[in-house]
Amino acid sequence: MHKIALAGNPNSGKSSIFNQLTGLRQKVANFPGVTVEKKSGKLHLPDGEEVMLVDFPGAYSLYPNSEDERVVLNVLTNPDDENFPDAVVYVADLTGLDKHLLLLTQIKDLGLPCILALNMADTAEQEGIIADNDRLSVFLQMPVVTVSGRTGANIGALKQAISTILQSEKINTPLYQPGPVEQNTLRKVQQSLGIEQPYRALLIAHHAEKLPFLLKEEKAKVAKICETEGFQGLRLQIAETMRRYQIFTPVLQAAIQKKAEKTTFSDRLDSVLTHRIFAPAIFFGVMFLVFQAVFAWAAYPMDWIESGFGFAAELLKNKLPAGWLTNLLTEGVLSGLGGIVVFVPQIAILFLLVTILEEVGYMSRAVFIFDKMMQQFGLNGRSVVALVSGGACAIPAIMSTRTIGNWKERLITILVTPLISCSARIPVYTVLIGFVVPSDRVLGIFNLQGLAFMGLYLLGIVAALGSAWVFKKILKSSEPSWLMMQLPPYRWPVWRNVGITIWEKTSSFVLGAGKVILIASVILWGLASYGPSAKMEAAEAEAMLIAQQKNLDETATGNLVAAHKIEASYAGHLGKFIEPAIRPLGFDWKIGIALITSFAAREVFVATMATIYSIGSTDDEATIHDRLAEARNPDTGAKVYTSATAASLLVFYVFALQCMSTLAVVRRETGGWKWPVVQFSFMGILAYLGSWIAFLLLS
Amino acid sequence: MANSVTQLKAGHGGRISHFTDERIAGKLMTMGVLPGSRLRVVRISPFNGGYYLKVDGMSIVVRNDEASNIMTTLDAE
Repeated sequence: MHKIALAGNPNSGKSSIFNQLTGLRQKVANFPGVTVEKKSGKLHLPDGEEVMLVDFPGAYSLYPNSEDERVVLNVLTNPDDENFPDAVVYVADLTGLDKHLLLLTQIKDLGLPCILALNMADTAEQEGIIADNDRLSVFLQMPVVTVSGRTGANIGALKQAISTILQSEKINTPLYQPGPVEQNTLRKVQQSLGIEQPYRALLIAHHAEKLPFLLKEEKAKVAKICETEGFQGLRLQIAETMRRYQIFTPVLQAAIQKKAEKTTFSDRLDSVLTHRIFAPAIFFGVMFLVFQAVFAWAAYPMDWIESGFGFAAELLKNKLPAGWLTNLLTEGVLSGLGGIVVFVPQIAILFLLVTILEEVGYMSRAVFIFDKMMQQFGLNGRSVVALVSGGACAIPAIMSTRTIGNWKERLITILVTPLISCSARIPVYTVLIGFVVPSDRVLGIFNLQGLAFMGLYLLGIVAALGSAWVFKKILKSSEPSWLMMQLPPYRWPVWRNVGITIWEKTSSFVLGAGKVILIASVILWGLASYGPSAKMEAAEAEAMLIAQQKNLDETATGNLVAAHKIEASYAGHLGKFIEPAIRPLGFDWKIGIALITSFAAREVFVATMATIYSIGSTDDEATIHDRLAEARNPDTGAKVYTSATAASLLVFYVFALQCMSTLAVVRRETGGWKWPVVQFSFMGILAYLGSWIAFLLLS
Repeated sequence: MANSVTQLKAGHGGRISHFTDERIAGKLMTMGVLPGSRLRVVRISPFNGGYYLKVDGMSIVVRNDEASNIMTTLDAE
């Protein structure tokens, strides 16, 4: 099957064109060996042929400044690469064409057949920009098609052009004529490595060191050649870039008619949105609204999902014969699935709003506003987006860090984002704050419990920034940190792109992280329902006896049996096993069980406590509160839940990474178990120390 | 007389004459920030972290480090 690459600068609207060409028939993967996302999709051409379209990361040139750009170089200079294209569709923004052609002229000089797609035809028309396509086509020796990724105008013509170019002869004279030093060097590289294409040889001379497909000996040979020829890479690169602009700029000036520049709508909007004083305030206002929307809108579908799964479990229990298989299905698999699906509304809504902000062009402004502040903590301006989204849920927040170019900055953002209190901590906070903080009012308006709530959030933020600062000092990076970023003009979002992004992120969460969550839930279910059989039977018999003595009704008996069984189960044993370790924090084995089970997800804490204290309904926070308040140590008669214990537990939940979904997502985003393990450990240590200190101070 | 961008006030500009660091020049030039380009400082960022520039009609932001390497001469226009 023929492969077609889609290339172009960032902000060229490449993804709109890709979406127009492939629709939902897209596959997302990574380019081999790197975490750079690769989207591909099948495309039916007018002549009936089916070709594979590969969306390359946005790049400015074949002299890479980021991981994304490096991928483009690595693939295009290696004809043996699985993604090496038969032809290239180059997308350029017609409204800023003078800055968009550098990469195209380089790809052309590699001898690849190209088509130039002049995108944003709709905006160009409004701005009175007229392009002489024939003139450009003659100069560049390639078909030129004016298209619009927004309206879909001329996409048919673009497909036709792909068809034609795959069948026609290649006529290609290089635009750039290398100078004497470059000539000598590239000829020697050609002979030495057996390369025919001259510009490819020149690029290899420039980049040999970092090209993954070259053998060690080959790299050494190239280095030797460069040394003997006096090949000064950086200086020659600058000269080449300058020359290319000198070649195509006059042609563009003749081929493009433009009206005189005036202050645009974007400029006026920016004078407010990037204002030195208003900008941060506006940003927080916008983020507050996003956060509220995620909360408010996601609550309903989450309720439906939870009750839907509850209903399905009930139904299965009644229809299927009682037994371990039914229990595995209803309590393990089904509740595991529920635990995955319940996050879908939050993820979808957050991505809806963040993608809109991204599409409109506001996110790049946020990067500009906060870059300096974030740099102090080893983060990037773009980290702001992830940290704020983390207030709803760490999973989509971590997925949104893909826009951070510098790997170290991205990694630190991923590592600290789960310290921001997410919505799953809210039920735990609600139950426990009741112990520590009286519901009094301060200064007549502030509820003390509300203030405590805010304090916990602040604690999370401080911990996130503090840890980021520590990681900044520890982690080494050879990649220079810098920021040069184009601010695209504000544009109305392309809804098609928004929809496809939501679909893609949500499905990748369900399929990727979902597997891990499902497996772990089944394991946890097993631990909590099984134990050494003699002990389990004894526990059940004991519970029945007590129930008879106390004359309990059927529900209460069931609850009591469950409570005794969980104590005898493996999870109960584990809880008792870790009791000595968590004793200094003020926790007993019952809290130990809850800590273990809430590793699956924090919100499980409330449910587990309910089971242990044999309360039938899991969502009745007030009941749990009362039971906990009554709990006493059987030996000493002292209260188990003092405010010191509760405060200690609160601090633990602020810091600890008790969320399998987050770990699964981090594993996927960082490409291995190393970073999730580091993250789990440092957050665990932080939680342990934090709780210990809180307990010491208050008891 | 060439001034670095960090010496310009918001609203001022000129033509880029040269860059003082080759590595930064290499990066900026791939984005179309070239010797001879028209440049104007639109705004200095909140927290004084960077510069919002207009270069030949394109909006671009750079950090202080990068901005201090861009030298401009007063505009003849």
